[in-house]
Amino acid sequence: MWQRETFKKIKQIPREEHVLPGTALCAGCGGLEALRLAAKVLGDEVVYVNAAGCFTMLAAYPFTPFKGSWLYTTMGSAPAGAQGVRDALDVLIAKGRLPERENLKVVVLGGDGSTYDMALSSTSGAITRKLDFYYFCYDNEAYGNTGMQLSPATPYGARTTTSPCSLQHPSGATREKKDIFEIWRAHKPPYIATVAPRYPLDLEEKFARAATFTGPKLFLALSACPTGWLYDPGETPEVAKLAVETGLWPLKEAINGAVTHTYIPKPKPVEEYLKLQGRFRHLFEPVVQTEAIAHIQERVNAYWEQVEKTEKAV
Amino acid sequence: MEGEMMTGNLAAAWGARLADVDYIPAFPITPQTEIVEALAKWCESGAMAARFVTMDSEHSMMTAAGAAAATGARVFTATSSQGLLYALEVLYSVSGWRAPLVLVNVSRALAAPITLEPDHNDVLAARDSGFLQIHAETCQEVLDSILMAYRIAEDERVMLPVIVNLDGFYLSFTREPVIMPDLQMVKAFLPPFRPAHLGFKASAPHALGVAVLSGTPYSYFRHQMHLAAMNALEVHREAAAAFEQLVGRRYDVVEGYRLDDADDVLVMTNAFASKGKAAVDVARAEGKRVGLLRLRVIRPWPADAIRHALQGRRAVAVLDQNLSPGQGGILFQEIAACLYHEALRPRALCSFIGGLGGKNLSEGELRTVFEQTAEAGVQGKGIGPVLLYTEAEHREMVQLQDLATEHRA
Amino acid sequence: MMRTVRFHGRGGQGAKTASRILGTAAFIEGFVAQDSPVYGAERRGAPVAAFTRIDSGPIKQRGVIACPDLVVIADASLIQDPAARVLDGVNERTAVFVNSPLTAEQLQAQTPLLGRLTTLDLTTIALQQCGKGGAISALVGAVAGRLVGLRRDSVREAIARELADLGLAATQIERNQAVAIQCYDTVRTVPVAPGAPQPTASARLQVPTYESPTRGTARISAAANSILRETSGWRTFRPVLVPDKCNGCWLCFAYCPDGVISMAKDDRPVIDYAHCKGCQICVHECPTEALVAEREKEGTVAWKAK
Repeated sequence: MWQRETFKKIKQIPREEHVLPGTALCAGCGGLEALRLAAKVLGDEVVYVNAAGCFTMLAAYPFTPFKGSWLYTTMGSAPAGAQGVRDALDVLIAKGRLPERENLKVVVLGGDGSTYDMALSSTSGAITRKLDFYYFCYDNEAYGNTGMQLSPATPYGARTTTSPCSLQHPSGATREKKDIFEIWRAHKPPYIATVAPRYPLDLEEKFARAATFTGPKLFLALSACPTGWLYDPGETPEVAKLAVETGLWPLKEAINGAVTHTYIPKPKPVEEYLKLQGRFRHLFEPVVQTEAIAHIQERVNAYWEQVEKTEKAV
Repeated sequence: MEGEMMTGNLAAAWGARLADVDYIPAFPITPQTEIVEALAKWCESGAMAARFVTMDSEHSMMTAAGAAAATGARVFTATSSQGLLYALEVLYSVSGWRAPLVLVNVSRALAAPITLEPDHNDVLAARDSGFLQIHAETCQEVLDSILMAYRIAEDERVMLPVIVNLDGFYLSFTREPVIMPDLQMVKAFLPPFRPAHLGFKASAPHALGVAVLSGTPYSYFRHQMHLAAMNALEVHREAAAAFEQLVGRRYDVVEGYRLDDADDVLVMTNAFASKGKAAVDVARAEGKRVGLLRLRVIRPWPADAIRHALQGRRAVAVLDQNLSPGQGGILFQEIAACLYHEALRPRALCSFIGGLGGKNLSEGELRTVFEQTAEAGVQGKGIGPVLLYTEAEHREMVQLQDLATEHRA
Repeated sequence: MMRTVRFHGRGGQGAKTASRILGTAAFIEGFVAQDSPVYGAERRGAPVAAFTRIDSGPIKQRGVIACPDLVVIADASLIQDPAARVLDGVNERTAVFVNSPLTAEQLQAQTPLLGRLTTLDLTTIALQQCGKGGAISALVGAVAGRLVGLRRDSVREAIARELADLGLAATQIERNQAVAIQCYDTVRTVPVAPGAPQPTASARLQVPTYESPTRGTARISAAANSILRETSGWRTFRPVLVPDKCNGCWLCFAYCPDGVISMAKDDRPVIDYAHCKGCQICVHECPTEALVAEREKEGTVAWKAK
């Protein structure tokens, strides 16, 4: 049974803020919620290497919310930027041009569009090279910064502006969400975790655990998105909670490839999650898309049956 | 003969080694590969105190290079052709960060159709990226230009990255004598890299390359890059003087060859300029008053030096080893633009396209260039773009097409 | 003569759609119209602007309207926000509409504005008749249509076209049309004088000189200065603490995306109202209903935690 070792009580969440307010991100942004919590463990001695995406708006001239540093790279190569920064810091410290106390953690920030597709080559390269860095993917399941287009992280059934519902495709997106966790895991990095900011202690614990590993530390953060998923901004934690409690967003980690689920929900029907969001409204009205909903449910069931088999066996 | 025999690629690697770079992100591509192979070996053996990393693409390579320079390391990297274009997006980022690294490009023509031999459509695609560009004619110049490039790039008045270009095959795989500058001289020439605006560290956080949300800051920052690039003309002059004093070789932004009393001038760049000089000698021996102007620095554009060299001539021919489909030669346009306001501008400007995909530039073709240019000067009417393509080459091409299209059992 | 209308709103309110409704309504009436938003980093809640030009012949203008005939302000808090620049080019001859519960006279007393002012409380109308707040594009568009003198029918039709384009259901469109036409009929008209003179004096150029890249590149060395940028204007509702009900559980602090809630020594939340964007996550998640949502500037409790 997985247990938290560092973060046992909510009042252990550090009070200090490391991502300050005043940014242009949407009210109720689930991605910012996750980053803020992550930064409470990461601290300020960080250089964020950003890929194009919603988080581009975090540091917009002349304002930055970070007490740490920031480098904006490109959509496809933030992990390569992290490589350059990490290597340069190491070289400069080794050559005595930078005191050890000036060292920084290197943290890539990328949305799902970057993470799942365009930056996959540079991420794969960075993991293979055992780069000592964090990768923080805020997954809002679409190209959000451009107004919610289909991304490889968009789940089956979701409506986006480029997976509209039609008579031919009444259920919206017709293909499954890419399993980036397993793609990462195939590289066998020391640490991978999924997190959801509605579960802040789980999130903080995972960042604290990751800190004990040298090498790639990869995080997939559920980033509920009121603007794109079409729900009221105040419901961001509720949506995240239902994503986890329906079993659609498993909370898990993989240490050197070995997976542990850090929370086993007593699964609620997926409808409870889907119904809350405008991007799935077409599954319920004007006619209920029974097959599509059943398909989503079946895949969740199959996932957790597999989990039960493999993790019980261990 | 002084020096030692080495290829242009090895000379490039030596440039990085003598510049004592800290970091080399790499990715192989023909005809550049020998550079990174040499550097990998030297980093492994400890001959160089640099970290060498093979990246997953040129796009990643260029990002890592820029990010490392932005962190405060002296960075060298190299690519060619398709690789340069794959990295093109990042070139604009790196120059926008004002990260002064040196990138060697080994020119190779672009696909499709894919080929291996050089022309300059690759490096000129990066013309507007904010990288400065130095184009070398000899292996010696490759090495020396890399040292000069670091000094210019890292100057506070410039702080822009530099591309040093050499032609694939004609320099990259061609050996000729190269004199190695003394390491102590290089140290005197190249002060340590200590940029004021770069370097990530705990005690002085900063955000670099941040988004701007309107045209006002965007225009300002991009214009600063223009001013920085223009400053590089003066910084180049200083660097050239210092280099000459220490090493004894002098490089200016343009090189004039037998220009003094020339009526007609041929403008060229890169390795084929050697052939152009030979053709000038041949024509001179026949009593024709011709000369050659080699453009060495393409960015910043040395307009004054070009005007000075070309004013009052009867005719000027620009031999572009590149082709902008629907327009013609790229450098011809820039030459024409900078001569427009010249009171003593040449009576005729002629545009020739030659050496595409490494196609040979024969003495006969160059002779034709001089003849047509002289005639244009007499007529007072420019010509072109004229593709240098001989009857023999045309016959050969028809044969190839026949083979490609006609089935013979 | 050309009529020019500039819309100001907050991302998500529908300023862009309102500008399109106006453009389409004019087009339906046979005018040449041109509408465009300012594109960029607009986010739900951030200031946005959009422009509509209407003329009887070809329009030889593009983009920003520096001196509009009519300024339509969908969110009154924007008047105080210098970044929104809602008063640019406004003078005595400019007609100004403000979405506000105050009358023009009250608003004028509170915030002196140049121009011919008219107001209507679109937010309350939307809350009462359409349920939740949010997009008021049809209402704003209808008011603008009335003020520039377009017909009721063409405004109604334009609303249908534009909202259908956004994918709204037929029932929602009809509801929007009905409420919008009510606003069309209710708004007190002020004269909109067409053909506001645009600035034509030649510009005085100041070409920048070179400076060190420490300042001369897109670089921020002032750490965490985003705090200088207030986002209080994004709110329609503010979270307010009922101290007696608070059990000091920290959940509001844990879930606030923007980190605007800090926990005092006594485990009570302190809300940074200068930066709270009004997402209401804290109100939703408070287990003891100790945080309630209050309508900004109204003072009445609109709703409480579930």
